[in-house]
Amino acid sequence: MSGSLTSIYNNVSYALNLHSKAITLLQEQASTGNRVNRASDSPSEAYRILGLNSQERSLSGYQETVAELIGNLEISSTIISDMSSELASVRTLMTQIVGGVYDSEGQKRIAEKINSTLEQVVSLANTKHAGQYLFGGCSTGTAPYEVVREDGDIVAVNYRGSDASRSIAVASGLSIETYHVGDEIFHSDHRQTPVFLGDTGAAAGTGTSTVQGDVWMTVDFDGSNYRISIDGGATYVTVPTAGDSNLAVTSSTTGEVLYVDTTGITAAGTELVRVPGTYDVFTTLINLRDLLLNGHGLETQKLLDYANECLKAVDEVYNLLLQAEVSTGSKIGFLETLSDNLEDMEYDTQDETTRLQEADIAQITIDLARREVLYEMSLQVAGTLMNMSLLDYI
Amino acid sequence: MANYTIGLTGLTAATTALEVIGNNIANASTEGYHRQRVELTTASGGSTGADVVGAGVDVAGVTRLVNTLLEAEILRQKSSYAEINQELSVMTSVETTFGEFAEGGGLNATIDKFFSALEGLAAHPLESVYRSDVVSAAEVMSSEFQRLGNSIEDLQTQIVMEAQTVGDSVNSLIAQIAELNGQIQNAEVSGAQANNLRDQRDQLITKLGQYVSVNTQSRDYGVVDVSIAGLPVVTGTVTLGIYVGVNDDGTLGVFAEGSRGRHLNIKGGELGGLLALKNDLLDDVAGNLDTLAKAIIDAVNQYQVQGLGADGSFTELTGWGVGDGDLSSLDTPVTDGAFYVRVTNKETGEIERYEIEVNVSGSPPDTVESIAAKINALAGVSASVISAQLHIVSDQGYVFDFLPAVLPEPTTTNFTAASPATVSVAGVYEGNENQTLTFTVAGSGSVGNGTMRLDVTDEDGNLVSTLNIGAGYAAGNALSLGNGITVAVSMGQFNAGDNFEVDVFATTDTSGFLAAAGMNTFFSGASASEMQVCSEIIRSAGRVATAYGSDLTDNTAALRLAGVQDEAVDSLDGMTANEFYQRLVTDVGQRVALLESRQENVEAMLQNLENQRDEISGVDVNDEAAELMIFEKMFQAMAKYLATLQNTMDILMNMV
Repeated sequence: MSGSLTSIYNNVSYALNLHSKAITLLQEQASTGNRVNRASDSPSEAYRILGLNSQERSLSGYQETVAELIGNLEISSTIISDMSSELASVRTLMTQIVGGVYDSEGQKRIAEKINSTLEQVVSLANTKHAGQYLFGGCSTGTAPYEVVREDGDIVAVNYRGSDASRSIAVASGLSIETYHVGDEIFHSDHRQTPVFLGDTGAAAGTGTSTVQGDVWMTVDFDGSNYRISIDGGATYVTVPTAGDSNLAVTSSTTGEVLYVDTTGITAAGTELVRVPGTYDVFTTLINLRDLLLNGHGLETQKLLDYANECLKAVDEVYNLLLQAEVSTGSKIGFLETLSDNLEDMEYDTQDETTRLQEADIAQITIDLARREVLYEMSLQVAGTLMNMSLLDYI
Repeated sequence: MANYTIGLTGLTAATTALEVIGNNIANASTEGYHRQRVELTTASGGSTGADVVGAGVDVAGVTRLVNTLLEAEILRQKSSYAEINQELSVMTSVETTFGEFAEGGGLNATIDKFFSALEGLAAHPLESVYRSDVVSAAEVMSSEFQRLGNSIEDLQTQIVMEAQTVGDSVNSLIAQIAELNGQIQNAEVSGAQANNLRDQRDQLITKLGQYVSVNTQSRDYGVVDVSIAGLPVVTGTVTLGIYVGVNDDGTLGVFAEGSRGRHLNIKGGELGGLLALKNDLLDDVAGNLDTLAKAIIDAVNQYQVQGLGADGSFTELTGWGVGDGDLSSLDTPVTDGAFYVRVTNKETGEIERYEIEVNVSGSPPDTVESIAAKINALAGVSASVISAQLHIVSDQGYVFDFLPAVLPEPTTTNFTAASPATVSVAGVYEGNENQTLTFTVAGSGSVGNGTMRLDVTDEDGNLVSTLNIGAGYAAGNALSLGNGITVAVSMGQFNAGDNFEVDVFATTDTSGFLAAAGMNTFFSGASASEMQVCSEIIRSAGRVATAYGSDLTDNTAALRLAGVQDEAVDSLDGMTANEFYQRLVTDVGQRVALLESRQENVEAMLQNLENQRDEISGVDVNDEAAELMIFEKMFQAMAKYLATLQNTMDILMNMV
């Protein structure tokens, strides 16, 4: 086989080029630490790596969201717990009142204490965390509770938040409802039949009333018929002479309706009507405060009897808060478990990406050494071939 | 004096041989040179008596050592190699342009970050920093699309220019080959041998073969005809050039010069590679990238147009230019359907929703002008077309939008009781199709009493829900239908059969007109290089839609925008945006890997073939040195012979 200069050069050039390309590739892998530095290095693995990178970013995003939600819920839980503590204190005080521990002056001081508790509880309900109100449902930009004051005292607390919570994605295909709807956790929604606590003989009608919490009902006699008012005497509804087992009495101030069975009315008077299952934290405290301030001029025993009944309202809202605390706690538990799962998934994703992409440094080192040897050998052979010539011997 | 003649022939033969050897050695490194060998034959002499005596040596000719079959195969493989190299070079550039595995990632990461920003906005719809994040991420993503789109467009433009340059080079080589054909023919017709000219001509053919795959046909007197894709470009000394141009459909084509009609099916060589790149490979990549961009643009816009952000409803809205107004020619398809405009009286709070029908298939079909006229007829708003752009303006004291939120009151009521209750509606519909829900009273009496209920049916008469409004229902409480809609009934009375209707909307644009006309859109453009965030969004991030509810506190729009990332889209072969893009990148990678593999194979094959050729046609200096010595000795011997003859003649002369 003859070896023309051209063929010797071409062969050397080809071999050097081959080894050079291989060395360059190994150098790139060594410097980046990755076996796959472009899609063409391994298309099938590249496809999976790209997908895993997207998955990792997605999981990281979800983890941040979950961490934030856990933070929000923990704050919410703390607030609800604080509210529960305040209510527990109020309950203790009311129990003491009912037990006759306090005289009227003492009761007034308790009323002031309850007023302070009310202010505190409203403030807690309007808590803002990281720029968002926690108890306004999805309306996180404005304070959910608006107070109405008379002479500086809160007379009403109105919910101005949203009726819907906010749905937030916490994992692929999984969303949870966040940001409590205050009207749902601070306000009971299991309406029961109204309870008439006085001596007028009035009872609950067959219709479903819309009044909530405690309502003061006034029954008076105008000489020919009884009349009933639930707005402090602003408006009255006349009871038919034959009586009405389902008389609708409307409040001109709130528009709420109380259905009254008037057939058993025998006396006039002012009595407290409780509507179990409709209490909210704020109105309960307002009513307790006002009861103790005795604006209706009740006799001591009557007041104590009413106070005893109102303890049931305190229990009702206390249980509401308890349920909210439990529910929040379980949501926190769920999210913490989810966070752990997301973390595991993220770790697994990173692990798989590393396995697919990372270069085996030891193997690269061996391959580099081998290629260097081959490169040097090619050079040596080329030099030897080109040095040998018959012309040297002629 | 035959003996002198013998000597002279020997000297001549040796001299010629030495010249040939010298030529070989001189051209040992000349590319395309084929080793030559002098052919010697015995010269025929006369007879002396019964003996036939030789007359020395004749130089029969100088032969060029070449294997035509091998040369043809090398030509073919070089064509193939050049084509592969061309394709590989460009596709590697494309792969590098995508840069998916570089630090910071490529388009895949920007797409992820955009949708991640939308998820952040869905979790914080009322916070400005998250709105700004979305706009920033959108600008980064659209910039990346533009970069990729423009890079590929630039590559395609460069390919066209390069192909035209190659075409010129081909024509130049064709002319040179024809000229050499003429020179070779002239020389060989007169009996000479034009080996060097043949080498030059064959080298030009090899060079031509690297530009485009050629076929050759040898003829008499050393002439070689050359054809490209069946077109005879060199016939002896006659030439026919080629022309590279762009067809009406944008594809690159090669034609016989002077005849745009005859299209040549070029394969092989750089030109073949450039054609494959422009008409096939890059076209696919560009097409897929544009499809992806368009899918994201359309999917995001379809949710954006209906929603509102922190900026609230509009007093003025301007779309983008829609050309001649023909709806069927718009980049985003418009179909028969309708869109709904909500107009709010800010002073009274009264909201009206109007339906605007869009008729594309009718005769005559709607145009942007006719749509503007329909909007213009609505109370509280006016519309016009200015510079081909739809422009809607609200009257003083009014605002408008396209929210799908239910109106606060039923669309129609049919109450027969003396003091009917009032009905209020709220919520964001979660269903998939627009519906008119009918609420029919069963029973009669006062709300909150007796056994009254509301039976809710859809347009097909299917029972959707049953709501108790009798005993147990406190008037005014919200009743949920379970599809995002709530209804509250006040104190009042109903008779059996009283009913009311509520229109609920899954989408307030069933025609696609709003997105096509650029009304409250997020992105503009119809391709990767045109993709942009709308200027209104850039000016005010509060225009990013977050809510579909009328109080703008919900995050429904933001959730749907974020959900686009996981939507399988028909135009993306049923894949999500990320999956489609990942497939695009790995398709490019696979193509590059395949080309690299082919390049290695062809390179190895060429190496082998060229080695075989060099064995036959290459100049081995050692071989030539040996030959040199032989003919040197021959010359010396012949000279000695002649000297000896001269001596004998001298002796003879001295004898006389």
